[in-house]
Amino acid sequence: MMSDVRRQRRLEQTVIFLGLLALSLIWLTPFATVVLSAIRGQGDLLARGVFSLPKKIAWSNFAEAWSTGDFSIYFRNSLLLIAMKVPLGIFIAALAAYPLAKLRFRFSGAIFIFFLAGLAVPVQVTLQPLLVMMKQLGIANSLFALVPPYVAFGLPFQIFVLRGFFRLIPSELLEAARLDGASEWTAFLRVMLPLSVPALATLCIIDVLATWNEFLIALVLISAKESRTVPVGLLQFQGEYSSQYTLLMAGILISIVPVIAIFIFLQRYFVAGLTAGAVKG
Amino acid sequence: MSEITLGARRPVIVRRRRWRIPVTAIPYLFLAPATLWYAAFLVYPMLQSLYVSFFDWDGLSPTMTFVGLENYINIFAVDEVARLALWNNILWTIGALALPTFFGLMLALALNRRAPASTLFRTIFYSPAVLPLVAVGLIWAWMYNPHFGVVNVTLKAVGLRSWANGWLSNYEMALPATFVTFIWSHVGFPMIFYLAGLQAISKDYYEAATIDGANAFQRFRHVTMPGLAETHVIVLSLAVINGFKVFDLVYTMTYGGPGRSTQVLGTWMYFQTFQYYHAGYGSALAWVIAAIVLVIAIPYIRRMSRG
Repeated sequence: MMSDVRRQRRLEQTVIFLGLLALSLIWLTPFATVVLSAIRGQGDLLARGVFSLPKKIAWSNFAEAWSTGDFSIYFRNSLLLIAMKVPLGIFIAALAAYPLAKLRFRFSGAIFIFFLAGLAVPVQVTLQPLLVMMKQLGIANSLFALVPPYVAFGLPFQIFVLRGFFRLIPSELLEAARLDGASEWTAFLRVMLPLSVPALATLCIIDVLATWNEFLIALVLISAKESRTVPVGLLQFQGEYSSQYTLLMAGILISIVPVIAIFIFLQRYFVAGLTAGAVKG
Repeated sequence: MSEITLGARRPVIVRRRRWRIPVTAIPYLFLAPATLWYAAFLVYPMLQSLYVSFFDWDGLSPTMTFVGLENYINIFAVDEVARLALWNNILWTIGALALPTFFGLMLALALNRRAPASTLFRTIFYSPAVLPLVAVGLIWAWMYNPHFGVVNVTLKAVGLRSWANGWLSNYEMALPATFVTFIWSHVGFPMIFYLAGLQAISKDYYEAATIDGANAFQRFRHVTMPGLAETHVIVLSLAVINGFKVFDLVYTMTYGGPGRSTQVLGTWMYFQTFQYYHAGYGSALAWVIAAIVLVIAIPYIRRMSRG
């Protein structure tokens, strides 16, 4: 009887494994399509079809896409934006999360919900006034126009995650610092932040990806080529080279390689952060 | 070295200050930067947009004409595209509630068993979710290419030539085809949420149920599903919230076409405001999205604010 149960379990596992294998092959097909289309000449692709192996690998597609698509401009902009937005946003979020997690004061619950409600605000409902505002500030069409809305829309999730993490840090540690004469500011900077490096790092990774990928705000606030970010630039490239399939696929591959690399190497931290707070600890 | 003991305190340094920040003000000082930033660049534009939605305005000229609720009335009573867009959002949301959620749950159940290579499978199913949606849209536009795309080539190869069609240029198929792309790119979200939820259910419950003679389905019905109640709230709420916010995929794959058949509120708002210069009407459309999403998000936000 024992062996029956074991055999049935083995069979069940095999069926599940084969199902997952088949499904994951389907899931990888779009990636394979892009790669197989990007590394060959256009004539080869159209004559022999996407599923064939390339006759000759055309690495030059990548160099050509990079230069004709002006990806160096878009990469520089997206990286600059990340360098400005990510540390600033997470620091401001950490400042706000600290009292919400560790101090007692009036309206703390209401203030927390005020921030949480931002999780449900669609970007669309701020776009037109933001464009007017950035024009008035004289930074419409510059990369700086994206920092204010990106930080604002990042705050709700970041404050939520950091508040949850800060609450797990024993208050005794803060108390000890205060008894040593540390101000609340020092306790935050010297005790809370160093102990929260795992949460801060996770949020950084998530935020880097979100900033790299954001499309709609960048589409509306920026029209000048020299300020475009990668997604807007990629779409522009597609508009100009829509029938140059191999070149276009090389451009797509260029623009997704950074996020794929970050995801593959750092996914452990990343996935845990996304579901933070979704499950009772 | 016997003086060194754990927990020993350094000498207290008393600094004299000219003035001290009152203790009661400290929390608010920490909150000030985030609150001001959030108020200036999220809340204020939202309210400004509400104000604009009561006007007839092109978004550029200094003259704005007050029209009361006319923009809102037009959305529901006059503008057929707006109603189609709302309907498309509803269809999209129903699909998002059902399909990626169901697939995500099934994948989580399969991957929760520590099957061989489950980490690799999880990486594969989640990986499309980290891509820019613009890239996802362009990749799938190539997959749907009528002449050279993978979809039609495959259909022809397996003898289903009659099924091959223009997909994104086909009035009936454009929205479902775009939605298939959405499933591909989004199934990872419910999957990782359900995985986290499953891992939080104590093994003891399953053992107890097995001892009581519960079969696999009964264990799923009476242990797994109740254990995932909180996760369901989050996953389903996010599906609806994101279902009404959808923009990037539709914009890059169909541009609202063919005709206007795949317009959703998010894209129609964009076209009205920034292409046709109907800023007042576009703002009203944006507020319709915001109102729907904010109301539906109430249980989600309540869940998040607890604990």
